[in-house]
Amino acid sequence: MNLQAEPAARAGENNPYLRLRREMVVVLLCFGLIPLVATGAAGFIASREGLETRTRNVLEAMIKNRKVTVDLFLEESLRQLVLVAASLPIAELSKPSTLVTIRDQARRERSAIVDLGLISDKGEHVAYVGPYKLQSVNYAGEAWFQQVMLRGRYESDVFLGFRRFPHMVMAVKKHEAGRDWIVRATLDTDLLSALVREGGLESGADVFILNRVGEYQTQYSDAHRLMERAELGPVPLHSGVRVVERARPGGGRELCATTWLKADSWVLVARQELPGFSVLAAHPLVMGVLVVGLLLIPPLSYLIARHRLRQIHELEAERGALYESVAQSQKMAAIGRLAAGIAHEINNPLAVIQAQVGVLADALADEGEPIERGDFTTRVKKIQAQVERGRKVTHRLLGFSRRVGPELEPVDVAAALDETLSFLEKEAEAQQIKVVREYQPELPLIRTSLSQMQQVFLNLINNAVDAMQGAGELRLTVRALEGGVEVQIADNGPGIPEKDLQRIFEPFFSTKTSAKLHSGLGLSICLEIVRGLGGRMTVESKPGSGTTFFLWFPKEAAIA
Amino acid sequence: MAELRLLLVDDEVEFLEPMEARLKRRKVACGVAQSGTDALALLEKQSFDCAVVDVKMPGMDGLDLLRRLRQQYPALPVILLTGHASVELGVQGMELGAFEYLMKPIDLDELLDTVRRAAEAAKRA
Repeated sequence: MNLQAEPAARAGENNPYLRLRREMVVVLLCFGLIPLVATGAAGFIASREGLETRTRNVLEAMIKNRKVTVDLFLEESLRQLVLVAASLPIAELSKPSTLVTIRDQARRERSAIVDLGLISDKGEHVAYVGPYKLQSVNYAGEAWFQQVMLRGRYESDVFLGFRRFPHMVMAVKKHEAGRDWIVRATLDTDLLSALVREGGLESGADVFILNRVGEYQTQYSDAHRLMERAELGPVPLHSGVRVVERARPGGGRELCATTWLKADSWVLVARQELPGFSVLAAHPLVMGVLVVGLLLIPPLSYLIARHRLRQIHELEAERGALYESVAQSQKMAAIGRLAAGIAHEINNPLAVIQAQVGVLADALADEGEPIERGDFTTRVKKIQAQVERGRKVTHRLLGFSRRVGPELEPVDVAAALDETLSFLEKEAEAQQIKVVREYQPELPLIRTSLSQMQQVFLNLINNAVDAMQGAGELRLTVRALEGGVEVQIADNGPGIPEKDLQRIFEPFFSTKTSAKLHSGLGLSICLEIVRGLGGRMTVESKPGSGTTFFLWFPKEAAIA
Repeated sequence: MAELRLLLVDDEVEFLEPMEARLKRRKVACGVAQSGTDALALLEKQSFDCAVVDVKMPGMDGLDLLRRLRQQYPALPVILLTGHASVELGVQGMELGAFEYLMKPIDLDELLDTVRRAAEAAKRA
């Protein structure tokens, strides 16, 4: 029998075990990682959203509060200046000593005024106290000067002016004795910056003021300079507080709250970075589980897959070995049965020959009763006939056993079936089994393995004879079908119950309960052989009326 | 008076005829039957000291006949003689109460030796 156990794991790309292991690793990874990552992501999103809402609320409250503070600061500074201009006559204001007194007073009150000056309607500095040398400067051509003369008061943006240093000024017009005068003060930009910055101290937000064209009016860090164009650009005018989320220039996202101040000429900005993955750092336990999971799941998946695969592999190998050993014992049993049949075929003519020779020998030894010549001749002829009978058996056997390999050759299927039957016919006859042959004449020869085909016939006829358990009819049909040849082997035995019918081709399945050695591999091996020759094998059975096996062999067997 | 009465059952006439001839020369009274049914019919008419039965026979085979003989004629020893070389069959035959299980072809003297032993054992019993 040409049986091979399941091939063990082969090396190379097509190794089914490696492929299975890869698939198992992927599945295990998915089962491990997807829930972990999903939980992590959901937690991350939820906690980030919570944090974002909180940040937005804090930012909004803070900027509102800052707006009030800054507005108050600027108003207070202007009010001081207005008060000075209104309460003192020009004669007093022209004296530097008066200005010094006022400035010192302001300093004591922690006002932002760093210098004071009185300017005539010609733009000349009449009096000045402060750290800069501005005594001889004429402001007549300056834009702010025109503004004060026109509107009575002025608050500047931060600008360089004659001092070549960023500063902001406030100025108010005073009318006395038919002339206009201007009282002007410089505000401490550092103080304003500090005041604005203070708002972000708690939350870590950048808080600053921009003018209409988007230039820094206060400084929130050393990262930028006053009067520099802010990366944010000009902020469009709007009322109240507006909070928008935007991309940060350095990556990540931020919330940006804005509100307009000082008659819509400055805008207060508070910028707060939104937390990214750092949110997770706030939950070390979650973070730990995530990291440990991410680190452990891949190697664990691999190890589990490898372990399971090894078990499967071992089981397969065990099964293969068992299959092989049972197949071997089945083969030996089949050979044994065949040998017994052949022995019967040869021993019977030998026994007849021996008996006839014995008669002749007796006659030669016994002088009393000589044997007649006619009788002598008859007995010799009978001996010759028995020798011929034995010769036919051995001749047939030689033909049968010579073919052991799966070589393909042109085969007359009907003759092959007859030859196989000849070894079992005696046994069938002994059981009073009638053999009916329905062979279609002029069958085409097919190219197949004669020995393997006969193995299948032998197995099926054997089964049929066993199944009938005594008298019955074995019907053999051979006919051309679909370009090949169909063989039907039918018995009228008890048949196979439907529940067993579906399983009879399974290895190790057997309904035979007798003491005879039956491993249950017979039909599964037949099926394997028939398929190996490119053929088909099916079965039909009715309990009570018998079983028919249908075999079909193609015109050209294709041995894989 | 014959020394021994032997019943020979075999489906093959070609075997029975020369055997019968040889046994006669040895003064063995020989009854032959071509089937189990014939054998049982013959036993109705005359008695034998021993039966030599072929195993593979159409209809009632040797083992079936052995069973019947053990039931109906328990005193008659039965020797199975077959060309079928199967240990299982031999074991089965001995279990059913055969005196001996012999293989074809067999030397006549050897067969007669066994038959005599069987007949003597039956007489002693």
